[in-house]
Amino acid sequence: MSTSSIRNEFGIDTGQVLKHMGYGTDGVPSARIESLVKEYADNISHLIEPSYSYVIRDVNAVRGSRVFIEGSITFRSNIIARLLEECQKVAIFVLTVGGRLGEVVRQLSGDGLMVQAAVLDAIGSDAAETLAHVVQDIVAREAEAEGLGISLRFSPGYCDWKVSQQKTVFRAMSGDTAGVRLTSGCLMIPQKSISGIIGIGPADKVGSYNPCLTCNKRNCMGRR
Amino acid sequence: MAEDIISLIRENVIQGRVNQDDEGLDGGMVGEPGVTELIEKALAKRLDVRDIINKGLTEGMNLVGQKFENKEYYIPDMLASAEAVGAAMKLLEPHLAQSGIKPKGKVLLATVKGDLHDIGKNIVAILLRGAGYTVKDLGNDTEPQSIVNAVRAENPQFLGLSALLTSTMVNMRDTIQALEESGLRDKVKVIIGGAPASEEYARSIGADGYGSDGFQALAVIESLTST
Repeated sequence: MSTSSIRNEFGIDTGQVLKHMGYGTDGVPSARIESLVKEYADNISHLIEPSYSYVIRDVNAVRGSRVFIEGSITFRSNIIARLLEECQKVAIFVLTVGGRLGEVVRQLSGDGLMVQAAVLDAIGSDAAETLAHVVQDIVAREAEAEGLGISLRFSPGYCDWKVSQQKTVFRAMSGDTAGVRLTSGCLMIPQKSISGIIGIGPADKVGSYNPCLTCNKRNCMGRR
Repeated sequence: MAEDIISLIRENVIQGRVNQDDEGLDGGMVGEPGVTELIEKALAKRLDVRDIINKGLTEGMNLVGQKFENKEYYIPDMLASAEAVGAAMKLLEPHLAQSGIKPKGKVLLATVKGDLHDIGKNIVAILLRGAGYTVKDLGNDTEPQSIVNAVRAENPQFLGLSALLTSTMVNMRDTIQALEESGLRDKVKVIIGGAPASEEYARSIGADGYGSDGFQALAVIESLTST
């Protein structure tokens, strides 16, 4: 088992922020919204407190829908079992952009300033996604150093992996959850946080598995 | 003159301009009076508050709703308009009673237990207030029993439940069950909404209606108000 926990700073992709706000490929934002997103994105650093932690554990065995991980950790999900059956290791992570941004979103929303609240909320979502990519890249480099590849990223709540398994993910972090805690309903506080796993194994086998390709839920928010 | 002010209010709702500092959706409008300045002007001229709301704010939001449906407007544009209507209603509220305007009905809103997402619910609240409903917002992460207690105390015509996650969506069902167990289910129409919800899910948990977005939620409540 190996662990890592650091803080870093990163930029915001305004195009992705606009996507989070509902502008799809055809949507053209008004100049006002575009400039508001840019202005907030350029001045967001004081509201973002990125922090992440990950741990790499051995995948001991996969039996049916159960995955047995080093340290008496068991994940239960058909999709996760399929994802990890070719993996030797799994990176388990928790990350957050902190709680300050969420507090400001709540204040703005409570004051009826809905546009600003929505823009900041979308920036928070993009910041968390960006941080997840940072973690994914770090794990990919570690895997590559051992001649291995990585899988897609999965979080509790994806496909048939129950949100209640957040507790198992958090237990696997050995006490360092990057300042993120779980509510009794397994939601993460601060809200703009992501937890999940990345499989590590032979690049030609683990990189290609994508359950979305055979799934009929065409309007799924998490479709890849 | 009265019609001019009211049509300007309508136009500024469509442009999502709360005040004169807003550039407007189409841009270049800084310095021109926005909705709050126009409402103050309308009140100073003693224009009929009913006309201000119906012909200015409501008609404006109806047009915004059409633009949203036609994908000319997106969520942030709709939010800007809702924000303008919310600011207008704050100014108009003290004048409603003396103008003989009665609320169309009372709506309780809540994001259900375990769910902390409330932007969608807050949009619905603004749209309902702008359409003449009294709204009491119970907040987020609301226990079924707290909602039951509020329904008993407030006696609303409608209860709007919201959830963003599939994992918390089931708590809308639990809330409806709690209403049934307390004997209050028949006293209130329950409307649900949120990303994972659907018309089918609403039916399956015994809700009276489903709103896929804020405008739909308002339309469902309006249709149930008239029945």
